[in-house]
Amino acid sequence: MEPLLLGLSNGTICLAYCAPVLVPFFLGEGAGTRRNIPLLLEFLLGRLIGYLVFAVLAWMLGLLLLPTLVWHQVIFGGAYLLLAILLVVYGFSNLKSRCSWESAPGRLKTLLLRWPAAVPLALGLLTGLNLCPPFLLAMTRAAATPGILHSVRFFVLFFVGTSIYFLPIPLVGAFSSLKSLQVVGRLACGIMGVYYSYLGIVMLHGGVGHL
Amino acid sequence: MSREISARPRRRLGKAILVSLPFLLLSTMMLMGASAGSQGNTLFLVPFLVTFAFINVLFFMMMYTGKTDRYRAVFFITMAVGFVITFIANLLEVRGSMALSAANMVRGETPFCHMVIPMTLIPAALTRTIIFPGRILGGFADVATMFTLWIGASLALGRGFCSWGCFFGGLEDGFSRIRRKPVLRRIAEKWTYLPYAVLIVVVALAALSLSPTYCEWLCPFKTVTEFAAVTSFKVAVQTAMFVSLFIGLVVVLPVMTKKRTQCGLFCPMGAFQSLTNKVNAFEVRIDREKCNDCMRCVGVCPTYSIDKASVSKGVTRISCTKCGKCVDECPSGAVSYHVKGTPVTGRTGGARMLFLYPGFIFLAVFGSGMIQGALYRLLLLLTTGSMIK
Repeated sequence: MEPLLLGLSNGTICLAYCAPVLVPFFLGEGAGTRRNIPLLLEFLLGRLIGYLVFAVLAWMLGLLLLPTLVWHQVIFGGAYLLLAILLVVYGFSNLKSRCSWESAPGRLKTLLLRWPAAVPLALGLLTGLNLCPPFLLAMTRAAATPGILHSVRFFVLFFVGTSIYFLPIPLVGAFSSLKSLQVVGRLACGIMGVYYSYLGIVMLHGGVGHL
Repeated sequence: MSREISARPRRRLGKAILVSLPFLLLSTMMLMGASAGSQGNTLFLVPFLVTFAFINVLFFMMMYTGKTDRYRAVFFITMAVGFVITFIANLLEVRGSMALSAANMVRGETPFCHMVIPMTLIPAALTRTIIFPGRILGGFADVATMFTLWIGASLALGRGFCSWGCFFGGLEDGFSRIRRKPVLRRIAEKWTYLPYAVLIVVVALAALSLSPTYCEWLCPFKTVTEFAAVTSFKVAVQTAMFVSLFIGLVVVLPVMTKKRTQCGLFCPMGAFQSLTNKVNAFEVRIDREKCNDCMRCVGVCPTYSIDKASVSKGVTRISCTKCGKCVDECPSGAVSYHVKGTPVTGRTGGARMLFLYPGFIFLAVFGSGMIQGALYRLLLLLTTGSMIK
């Protein structure tokens, strides 16, 4: 129960961290509320994968590496930079939906065109790995669990608790008839990318400098 | 016939004097109130008289010539320059520096500016806190006064606030009028949506961090007002960003494009203010019967608020600041101020007058004190060798 309650009590903060990425993304896709639901599920799946990867890491490396500030900064800084690249490409390249990826290099382009769910998944994964206070709290508690399964279970329940707050977001699809909002959403994604690139560089710089 | 022609300008002069008289009275009361307690002092009297004459001549010329933007711009640009001079001089006098220290912020000594308004709404609703280190009531530019002025201006002018009330807009308006012809003509349409994207991002990040993100990171006008003292790498990056934005969006791009690029392509407050155009009674319309599709209005609009699509519909885009430039420039007189719900065709002078009165009053409310203050500082400089006491 503890991780679920932790998720429920801190979910609004998770939402505050993820919404600046998720809302512009939904607006940018310009899909209706119904189409936004699978997009949200893909995003949440990516977020869950991020949590699970981190649950394993938290348990495996928890006592050795993760508690040190340096490694936090390197890992999260890297995640921020990847997220920034994804958002900037999505936001500032060709503004027509899906066609953004035409300018992506060879294999990546094929992957993105063939499997469009990769984008919300990647966004979910990378925003999931966010140094927000609830995530840090969950990480600290998970690192103290006795086994890997306990750590994974902890993060899954924490994820369920926080995800409830994401459910209303697909409702932004109600504005999908406003085509200009699609352009606005994409540009907002690009600006968020610039913001995350700053965070990523500062964090990586701090981490690498102390290695 | 010739008597009729010579009578026409005389009638126009009489009408202009008549409609200017109420404003003469209003401005007298406004300026007398602002200068209360300083009568008899020459250093106050000269700025008072000059400002009084300045605003009344401009209003009269607007009424007499029927041109709007030409005279509005003179006031608007002078107001912005006056604001910068007065504000910096006040800061130097009170604090000794344009840089804002942490102690100043803790004491709530930061003047509240309208640019912060969109960012304060969600945190205020959720936490009952104004996320700005200023005073709620009392002191210079407190939160309550600025909110009240903004609500009044939004109801009366909609986004017209950006051309008739914003004391920053005049800077780029001035720079945009330096060259006769633009060097850079085409800006892709998608960038005209950028202010809305900036608005979404700064509002979301302000709600997340409970701090005025736009002021911290992006506001270009901090370059000519006040800014945080550089005490860390983060503040150094923020400083580099807002100075670059000022040089790029307020100086270089307006000179190159002859447009107000900060207002039209970046300002989140402008984007937010655009929404108030929906509830405001005034708009600029294009009479399709008179329009000859020359697209001159598209070319002269300083905020990218008219495009071919909007001309064909006889309207401006939601971002119209009602500056009146397109109204002045239209060769066929097809563009005019308009009251929503009334016919577009026919006489438009009444609608223009109804808009100009509140518009010019707001300009005078914001600008007269700034112009007076700047003149006072300049006189102080001439007589004592220093702008500060």
